[in-house]
Amino acid sequence: MISVMNSQGSAQKAGTLLLLVVSNLLFCQNVHPLPICPSGDCKMSLQDMFDRLVMLSHYIHSLSSEIFIEFDQRYAQGRGFIAKAINGCHTSSLPTPEDKEQAQQIPPEVLLKLVISLLHAWNDPLYQLVTEVGGIHEAPDGMVSRAKEIEAQIKQLLEGIQKIIGQVHPGANENEIYSVWAQLPSLQAADEESRLFAFYNLLHCLRRDSHKVDNYLKILKCRIVYQNNC
Amino acid sequence: MKDNVASTIAFILLLCLNISFLNGQSPPGKPEILKCRSPDKETFTCWWKPGTDGGLPTNYSLTYVREGDENTYECPDYKTSGPNSCFFSKKYTSIWKIYIITVNATNQMGTTASEPLYVDVTYIVEPEPPRNLSLEVKWPKDRKPYLLIRWSPPNITDLRSGWFTMEYEIRLKSEETDEWEIHFAGQQTQFKIFSLYPGQKYFVQTRCKPDHGYWSRWGQESAIDIPNDFTMKDTTVWIFVAVLSAVICLIMVWAVALKGYSMMTCIFPPVPGPKIKGFDTHLLEKGKSEELLSALGCQDFPPTSDCEDLLVEFLEVDDNEDEQLMPSHSKEYPGQGVKPTHLDPDSDSGHGSYDSHSLLSEKCEEPQAYPPTFHIPEIIEKPENPEENITPIQDPQSNIPYFHADVSKSSTWPLLPGQHMPRSPYHSIADVCKLAGAPVDAVASFLDKAGKNALKSSKAFETGKEEKVAKQEMESLHSKTKEETSWPLLQEKASFIYAKPLDYVEIHKVNKDGVLSLLPKQKENCDQVEKPRASETSKEYAKVSGVTDNNILVLVPESQVQNMALFEESAKKAPSPLEQNQSEKDLASFAGTSSNCRLQLGRLDYLDPTCFMHSFH
Repeated sequence: MISVMNSQGSAQKAGTLLLLVVSNLLFCQNVHPLPICPSGDCKMSLQDMFDRLVMLSHYIHSLSSEIFIEFDQRYAQGRGFIAKAINGCHTSSLPTPEDKEQAQQIPPEVLLKLVISLLHAWNDPLYQLVTEVGGIHEAPDGMVSRAKEIEAQIKQLLEGIQKIIGQVHPGANENEIYSVWAQLPSLQAADEESRLFAFYNLLHCLRRDSHKVDNYLKILKCRIVYQNNC
Repeated sequence: MKDNVASTIAFILLLCLNISFLNGQSPPGKPEILKCRSPDKETFTCWWKPGTDGGLPTNYSLTYVREGDENTYECPDYKTSGPNSCFFSKKYTSIWKIYIITVNATNQMGTTASEPLYVDVTYIVEPEPPRNLSLEVKWPKDRKPYLLIRWSPPNITDLRSGWFTMEYEIRLKSEETDEWEIHFAGQQTQFKIFSLYPGQKYFVQTRCKPDHGYWSRWGQESAIDIPNDFTMKDTTVWIFVAVLSAVICLIMVWAVALKGYSMMTCIFPPVPGPKIKGFDTHLLEKGKSEELLSALGCQDFPPTSDCEDLLVEFLEVDDNEDEQLMPSHSKEYPGQGVKPTHLDPDSDSGHGSYDSHSLLSEKCEEPQAYPPTFHIPEIIEKPENPEENITPIQDPQSNIPYFHADVSKSSTWPLLPGQHMPRSPYHSIADVCKLAGAPVDAVASFLDKAGKNALKSSKAFETGKEEKVAKQEMESLHSKTKEETSWPLLQEKASFIYAKPLDYVEIHKVNKDGVLSLLPKQKENCDQVEKPRASETSKEYAKVSGVTDNNILVLVPESQVQNMALFEESAKKAPSPLEQNQSEKDLASFAGTSSNCRLQLGRLDYLDPTCFMHSFH
């Protein structure tokens, strides 16, 4: 009797285990695999990698737009900040294409390098933005959280692009163009007007550059993966 | 002089100005830039609204300054986009740059500039609506029909190179409703609609938007008639749902059916009827008490179980009531009310106590253990579950014996005819019945099985609620309520059997064979409880010599009259070799088999009542 019960119990356990395994497999099938491999050489398809990059860049630009629009409506009405923000982006020195023709003429790896430069150029400003936003009078909570989110997503984007560069053009030279951001004192200015304008400028430039990155990656995806036949 | 000249000139100017005002001429009003839009992120157009013209022909010009270039340029194209517009072609369009656009209105009187508009082409993209909207009802094989909506992106957008990314939306409504149903279609240029009402006309529209920009306006509306055989519901789904519910209902019904009885028994436990082995309720009805009593067979007498299980207390026979059951013996019956109080208040004399030693063991100090009042009439009035008398219900927990007596079986008490039972607190059959706390059947059941059970049941009756004994085993005995009237019979029969002076003994125990183990009354030891056999007793009364008029069973030691074999208390069918005195055939059969059923147990000579039972089956 006991032996029979034991066998029944073990059979039940085996059945339960099998069920768990099968269900896990089924669930795992529906999950879109993350393209970024932490290390090693995982042969993920280029299409999947680009899909993920485009998704990330789209998301980053959406967040940047939201931050800017919120700040604009809240603090920048009637102050004429936009006029002062002309030629105010620290990344304007980068030779990025300004229209479609230029973007299509530039080689893909150069474009990728430019994207990397753009993203690197925002490491420091984003960090300062998160740190200094507390100085804004009644800063909305969404701004800080979004800024942090953008920081995190840019990190992931950089990783992905590095991977793609490794696959598309391995061995590319590391002549990265750096652009320096020197507006930290403005962010910490005592005058509220100056401080607000510094934030406005920062957010305005972030919105623009994130759009650039998004557009460039979409162009590259259609060009590399679909051979200009999206 | 100079002052005069200056004032004169001013006066003249003012005059001219007044004259011009009087004529209705003035510099133009301030124009206003309405909006700038780019349909493809490669060109863009700005529209303005002119202000007042000041009565004079006014020209409008648009000038702009671009970020990164300090020069001011004028609008390259005033025509393409219509009046009051400026079209910037690809050559003049740069994205990710801010344009500062100003419109100037000029007339003869002057120029008025509008407020500058800061425009970044990146964020003013608003495409044209999609084209080539087509609707078609598809009928795939073995699948549900659906409406397929297809469209093309607007002409000028460059989606192939990835410069432009488009998302779409469709909306539809039937002819009868007023609200549109909107569906987001993502980046695909087709859409399938499944749930449509057949026989109705539907209108469909689409629009699009860039990945970061404004929605276009709704495109051209298309209409389609849905055919009448366009099934809306998926019948297979409903069939599956119906089958599943039927299966679930069946399972529930089956579960209820299986468990229903046990559930009902849990909620409403059946009331057991009184049951005495060998007790025939039919005989009781017929009024043949002799047969009834003789048929009663008590087993396991004396009880061998522990005394504490036997809760026989007192049985109080109320003989003033019910006379209908035993009309022939009614007179005797009322007289049978053996109250324990009338008897010797001995500590161990459980008046009519079935198992006195159990009482001793439980409470030696208590002289009186009042048996439950034995109201035969009451019990008779409540015949409960007579059908339960048929089979012995063995309660596994408490080994209260059940009677095998069948209702239809004619069984009589194995009472020695003509024997009187000595009037003693123990020996009255009625007392014994009362000990059981139930009708006679209960007492009989007592004797049938181990004494424990009998004690238990008698305990229950101790509370004086014999009708309320919820124990099934006892309830089964209720069915034999009518058999209770046989008790007086028993006593009557045994009344004339009187062999020797009365000697009160106490019932030691009832063993499993239904043998009553009796001891002399002076033996009041608590220790004798556990002994299953009467062998511990120095002297045991093993035989009934007779029954006195007071329904007292006279027992004699084994060595004495061999003919006495009646055990009173629990309807034991003690065979009597003297049954012929009563001229009852059952008793005669008893006697016949008595010798065969004698158990040789040491000094005791017990008769196994079970063997008598068989004779009645």
